[in-house]
Amino acid sequence: MAADPKMRFLVVDDFSTMRRIVRNLLKELGFTNVDEAEDGAIALQKLQGGGFEFVVTDWNMPNMDGLTLLQSIRATPSLKHLPVLMITAEAKKENIIAAAQAGASGYIVKPFTASTLSEKLNKIFEKMAQG
Amino acid sequence: MTANNDSSELEALFDSIAADAKPATPAPKPVTPAPAVDKSGDDQELQDLFDSVASGYAAAPPETVPAAAAPAAGEAVESWPGQESVFNRIGHMARELHDNLRELGYDKLLEQTVSALPDAQDRLAYIANLTEQAACRVLNATDIANPLVEEMESGAAALGDRWDKLFANELSVEEFKQLAGETRAFLKDQLPQKTRATHAQLTEIMMAQDFQDLTGQVIKKIVALAQNLESGLMGVLIEVLPDTRRTDEVNSLMNGPVINAEGRNDVVVNQQQVDDLLDSLGF
Repeated sequence: MAADPKMRFLVVDDFSTMRRIVRNLLKELGFTNVDEAEDGAIALQKLQGGGFEFVVTDWNMPNMDGLTLLQSIRATPSLKHLPVLMITAEAKKENIIAAAQAGASGYIVKPFTASTLSEKLNKIFEKMAQG
Repeated sequence: MTANNDSSELEALFDSIAADAKPATPAPKPVTPAPAVDKSGDDQELQDLFDSVASGYAAAPPETVPAAAAPAAGEAVESWPGQESVFNRIGHMARELHDNLRELGYDKLLEQTVSALPDAQDRLAYIANLTEQAACRVLNATDIANPLVEEMESGAAALGDRWDKLFANELSVEEFKQLAGETRAFLKDQLPQKTRATHAQLTEIMMAQDFQDLTGQVIKKIVALAQNLESGLMGVLIEVLPDTRRTDEVNSLMNGPVINAEGRNDVVVNQQQVDDLLDSLGF
């Protein structure tokens, strides 16, 4: 893909295992510039510090959940352009609709595979290139 | 079933009440006291319980009762109305407790908790299932990767031994040429192919760890259920105000993984359904 391998990712999940998995998968796909946050509040803080180009977030987290994080990102002028991919166990249709309406760039249900992540990332990169 | 078997506290309670009741009329109906109790106001279960207890007492030899429980009373005849009054009061206390629990909402709380237990069973089965799958995936991956690593090791060792011979001047030119060719093939083809295959298995092992995230969420929910059960029972015991905090699962957007999607049409079961839903909405 045309995506910049130096692109800086923020992986947000309250389970460290999941953060590790996503980080490793991103590494496999060629993205080694990855930072982690364990909930939405910490993520927002890091994002406001600047330098991130992509957010991968869980939904169900303490302090600030993924949907609230997404809404906060979209409501912040300096962050609202950031692609936000949700990777979550929440599988209710109203969850997916709520995420889409809040401006999620993609939605992956757990458990997921490496190829699903790759496919969704590429789809988002394509849209970014077009936009 | 005589008063001899009761604890000393109950006996003391009985004695005190019986003593109060004693001055009342020496009742002329000592032999069949139990059925005479007022049934109005008690529900059937309580009444049945009462009847069974009362009949047990009625069946006991009357002369042992005053001897044990009300020795001061002197006559067997006079102790029976006292017993009746005890049973009546206990019956009313049970009834009151029953009504109070209902008023406080504990019956609903307990009912909800009990109905949540089968769901907890499903959740535990889900954990068992996911962890078993993960264990199988990891063991399969190591079964595949181990021979690959062993082949790499033994291949390198064999070539290394032959190179040692070369440096000891023990190989002919023809043998050297063969060794060089084989070494090149090992380095350029066999080794990269085997490391790639091993790497694929390492990825598989890593991906098998995704259960931890899902089971962790489910375990948290079961722990919460256990805490609810405990607090509900504790509340009944100490009769504090009911904790009316109830999580409205139905309208929540944070339910964790779907344990059993069978018969539900409000959830998706795979990524394809997520994509289809988003497509259908134009996202």
